[in-house]
Order: sequence, then C-alpha cells, then structure tokens
Amino acid sequence: MFFWQLVLSGLSIGSLYAVVGLGIVLLYRTSRVLNFAHGDLAMVTTMIAYSLLTSAGVVFAGSVALTLLAAFALGSLFYFIVIRPVKEATLLGQIITTAGFALVLGGAAVVIWGAGTKALPFPLSRFRFYDVFGLRIDQLTIGSFIVSVITMLLLYLLVQKTKFGLAMRAVSQNDAAARVLGIPVRRVYAVTWGVSAVLGAIGGLLLAPVTFVSPTMMFDPFLKGFAAAVLGGLDSLPGVIIGGVILGVVENVFGGYVSTAFKSTVAFVMIIAVLLVRPEGLLGRKFQRRV
Amino acid sequence: MRLKVRAYVGWLLVTVMALGVALPAAAQERGITPTEIILGTSAPLSGPAAPWGATARGAEAYIQYINEQGGIHGRTIRFVILDDAYQPPRAVQNVRALVEGTGVFALVGMIGSANAAATRDYIFRNEVVWMTPAVESDPWIGNPNIRYLFVTYPNYYQEAKVLTRYAVEELGLRRIAVIYQNDQYGDNGRRGVIDALAEMGMEPVAAVPYELTDADLSVQALLIGQAQADAVILYATPTHGAMAAAALAQLNPKPQILSSFTLADPIMAALAGEAWNGVIVPSYFPYPDHDEKVARVLEIILERNPDLAQMSFNALAGVTFLEPLLEGLRRAGPDVTKESFVAAMESIQDWDGELLRGISFGPGRRQGLNRIFLARMVNGKPEPLTDWIVYPVEF
Repeated sequence: MFFWQLVLSGLSIGSLYAVVGLGIVLLYRTSRVLNFAHGDLAMVTTMIAYSLLTSAGVVFAGSVALTLLAAFALGSLFYFIVIRPVKEATLLGQIITTAGFALVLGGAAVVIWGAGTKALPFPLSRFRFYDVFGLRIDQLTIGSFIVSVITMLLLYLLVQKTKFGLAMRAVSQNDAAARVLGIPVRRVYAVTWGVSAVLGAIGGLLLAPVTFVSPTMMFDPFLKGFAAAVLGGLDSLPGVIIGGVILGVVENVFGGYVSTAFKSTVAFVMIIAVLLVRPEGLLGRKFQRRV
Repeated sequence: MRLKVRAYVGWLLVTVMALGVALPAAAQERGITPTEIILGTSAPLSGPAAPWGATARGAEAYIQYINEQGGIHGRTIRFVILDDAYQPPRAVQNVRALVEGTGVFALVGMIGSANAAATRDYIFRNEVVWMTPAVESDPWIGNPNIRYLFVTYPNYYQEAKVLTRYAVEELGLRRIAVIYQNDQYGDNGRRGVIDALAEMGMEPVAAVPYELTDADLSVQALLIGQAQADAVILYATPTHGAMAAAALAQLNPKPQILSSFTLADPIMAALAGEAWNGVIVPSYFPYPDHDEKVARVLEIILERNPDLAQMSFNALAGVTFLEPLLEGLRRAGPDVTKESFVAAMESIQDWDGELLRGISFGPGRRQGLNRIFLARMVNGKPEPLTDWIVYPVEF
C-alpha cells in the first residue's frame, strides 16, 4: 500500500511537472527558443492571482480568469517587446535574453510583493480526504489532476485540430515558407508565447497550495518541468507528459525506498541515462534540417 | 603680567595638546563617533530565507525608536543592513564592506549556518564585536576566539533534546521521528533527537531529511506514516515546515508535531492552515499576547514598519539580537571603547530586558541564554505549556 501511495503522489506532482513542461515544449517546438523565464513568468502570474484574491477581493473563478488573461498578455508582450527586436540575435542570444527576463521578473516580484512566503486562498482543501481501496486521496490532488488532464486535452485540440495549430506546426517546420504562404508568422509566435505563459500560470496556480507563493516558488518545479521536457523529447507534447509522470513517480519511489536526500538527483541521473540511449528523448524525433 | 599671560597661554597649549591626543584616541574606536554608534548586519532580504530577513527590519525599527528617545548617552545609532540573499559569498562581501568600508562598531545577527561559517574567521581575526549570529552553538563551544562574541540564541541541539524528552516523558509518546533540513541546522536537530532518545534507551523510528530546493514533502510524510511515528520533531525553514505539516496532516493517525523555535512565527498558521493546529513550539522570550513589555515592543516596531505584522515573531527575534548590545552600551557609559563594552557586557547578570529575560554573561561566558519554554499553537495563537526549561551552559 505504501508503494501505491508513493505512486499516487508521484502521479499528482508529475502531472504538474508536465503542465509546466508543456509550456516550455510548446514554445520550443514553434520557435526553437528555450524560455528560461518560464518559471518566473508562472511565479509572477501566481502573485497576480494572490493580489486579486486577497487585496482586490475578486472571487476565485474571476481571479483565475484574469490571471490567465494577464499571463497571456505578459507572454505575448515579452515576445513583441524583447524577443522580436532581438530576432537578429543567434538562438543562444535569444535564450540568454529569456534568462535575463527571468532575473527582471524575480527582482520585480520582490519589489512589488516582498520576499516573504504567502498562502494562496484556494477552494480545494488538502485536508479533506477520500479513502479509496486503502489509498488516501485529498481533494486538492484530485482537483489538480483533473485540471491538468483537461489542460492537456485542450492543448491537444488547439495544436492538432484547429487552423491555428496547423499554422503553428507550419511555422515550426519552416517559418520562411509559412510566411510565403500567407501565415501571419509574428502573430503565431506572439500567441504561442501567450499560450505558453498561460500553461505556466496554470502550473503555478495548481502548485501554489503545495509550495506556497513566494519569489522562489517555481525554482524546483521549473527545473523538473524542464527535465520532464528533456526526458520526453523537447519537441514532443505527449513526450513531456510522459516525462513528467515518469519523473514524479520515479523520484517518489526512490525517495520512499532508498533516500529522500537523493530524490532529485536520481531524476537527473535517469535523464542522463535516457539521453545516452536516445538523445532526442523518449518520444522526440531526430532533429533534421533539410538542406 | 606678561609672564602670567605666557603661563596661561602655555597651559592652554598643553591642554589643547592633551585634548588633541585624547580626542583622536576616542575617535579611533571603530564605529564610535562623538555623535554616532554604527552597527551593521548582513541579512537575507531576498532569496529562500527571506522571511528571516524580517529580523533585520525588526531591529531597524527598534533602533529608530531608540534614536527618537535620544539614542544612548547622546549618540544616535546608525544601522546598516546589507542583503546577502542567504548566500555565503555575498555574506563575506557584506561583512568586509561593513568592517572595512562602513566601519561598524558591532555586527548584529547573521542568519544561516553557512553564512556564519564563511564569515566567522574574518570577524574573529579583526576582533569585531558580534551579537548573536542566529546559528547552532557548535562553532562557539570550546572556541578560544570568542572574546567579542555574545549570544542570546537557543542551542538547536539542546532544544531538540528538550522537545524529545517532552514528547516521551510528558506526552507519553514512544515512536519518535524527525524531519530535518539536510544542513548544519537540521543536523543539530537530528543529533539532539537521537542523543536524547539514546539517553532513554530508545531510537528514532525514522530520521528523514529534505533538501532546501524540494518543492513537495509528501514522500517524507509517507515515510513517517510507514514508520508509524506518533511524534515528529521538525527542523525546517518556514516554507518547508508548513509543507511538512500539511503533508503530515494527511496521515492516519496524525502524528503530534513538535518544531524548532525557528517556526514560532504566526506566519506558520497562515501558511499551513489547520495543519499547524496543536503543534508544540518552543520560544526563548515571552509571546506578545502573554506579556505587556513584549506587546509594547511589538507595537513600537509595527508603528515604524507595519509590513512586519505578517512576521512578528521574526521581527521581535531581531530585537533580541540587539537588546543586550544596547544594555552593554548603556552600562559602558559615554566614553565607550571596545574593551569597556566587553567589561560592561560581562557585568550583565540575570538581567531582564524588554524581550529577553534572565540573561547572564561573564568573564569566560558568552552564552547569555540557556532556557526555553514550550507552547501549543491553537488557531494560530500560542498557549504556553511549560515554565522555563533550563539546559546546560556550554560556552
């Protein structure tokens, strides 16, 4: 039973790693930019939710809606104000720009909200449990698992079943050709940045009741989301979900049976092992550029 | 007549010269000017330990109050706070800047074992007065270099022993476990629990570490459940303490939590919610709800910095780092030097401050405080459980 309880909590935290990782992968697939500000963007939007819920007194559903809107705006604004003007820079240059943006966001959060830890008022409780087949599941875990799955489904529909998704895939394969075909490439990039930030915000909101709200709250979840993406394949959306879940379960089972001190380390050792065998990740495709 | 005038001028010259010699000597004491006493600290105003940065802000607000009252013997106090973000390299830079740049008379506090370890050799070598680094006591025990160090901070190791004995002897709990941060702070707690249990012929049923970067402690809680512990002793940061309490609350049956005094702040109840209900926490000074003098100090610092209301225990703890130093300066008189300050500090015996009570230093004694009391947190409010519990003086 101890084993299954470890698996269950691993699934729950792993699905959150996956949601965070999805934002990273979505952006990478489309623009080849690794966004190191993804975690800090999620943190800032969670702080916005905190302000809406406490100081502004907005109801939960309203706060969530406004927060996701703010996340979308912040993400696409960052594209227009920073990434777009440095488009001549190398890919590495653009990636370093996102790292700089992360520092700016982290500093701004300390100035605006203070460096202290806060509790986000959340409608689901960790202290209301259900005992199912001898396993104990709390309301928050069930809720966040359902929201994660719905998020993944919606993203799947957006990417695979809409015209916009088709445009995203076209841009990711060859942005010059896409432009020639009349696809508004800039708009596609901006929306992708926005959607990616929204995914981060959902991850941040679901993590907040567990990690609490502080400027450093996304440090570990971002690393794990990134790790999930690398494990599953940086350009594969199903890959990052599988990567996140494997990561969550393996580190929990290892922590439960071997050592909690090396719980995070084992996750990264596993990634190295996978990458040695499959450099493109579990579900990633080999990156080949046509000449 | 002319001779007399000459004699006067001669005397005047001698006096002026004598003054000229005496004045620079007084001015040469680093951090003491005719109008000011300069103090400094390096504190985590940002980063993972930022809630503990409230200690420096609390001390700052109290100094503002002391200055409004006219300072000490006509000198106002200047307090310089530098942010180290809980990082040892920055703490080293800050301390050097405070000693060599600002020229402080004393350093007040220092959060984090690693930060104190990184800076202590420099501080000792330069013979800087150092008030209460907020760390474990091991580095000071048997250390010959601590002439200018004065500590009124509980000893984590002894505190863990007190908590363990209380769980076994007073609460009648037999299966004791510990969740600890994997560093010097947590290790002191772990050792205290193991040693106290060994003295009673017992062993912990589980000793589970976590890392400062961990964002979820549910595995640790499941291990406690697997070990069927009925009491858990907790050595963690406020954030991780709240995470652990929330995860432990899911166990059936739920174990009794006893935590280090570092988690005595009301913010714990705000973070962990109902999971913090019933937690047993020590303190080394009375709570504002149960003591008028402490309530008055809290009022003073909140009037000057209302943001500290969220972290009132930490803010008050910052004042405790400072309080004995202020008393030492008062006792040393207007012509204070480093040596007269040390003599004044050593004269402090069984002294009650506004916050601290029963503080004693002396020649060869630098551990001013050796007692704590326990309280149970009920709906975010402490309800005292015991009288003072005394532990041995070790340095």
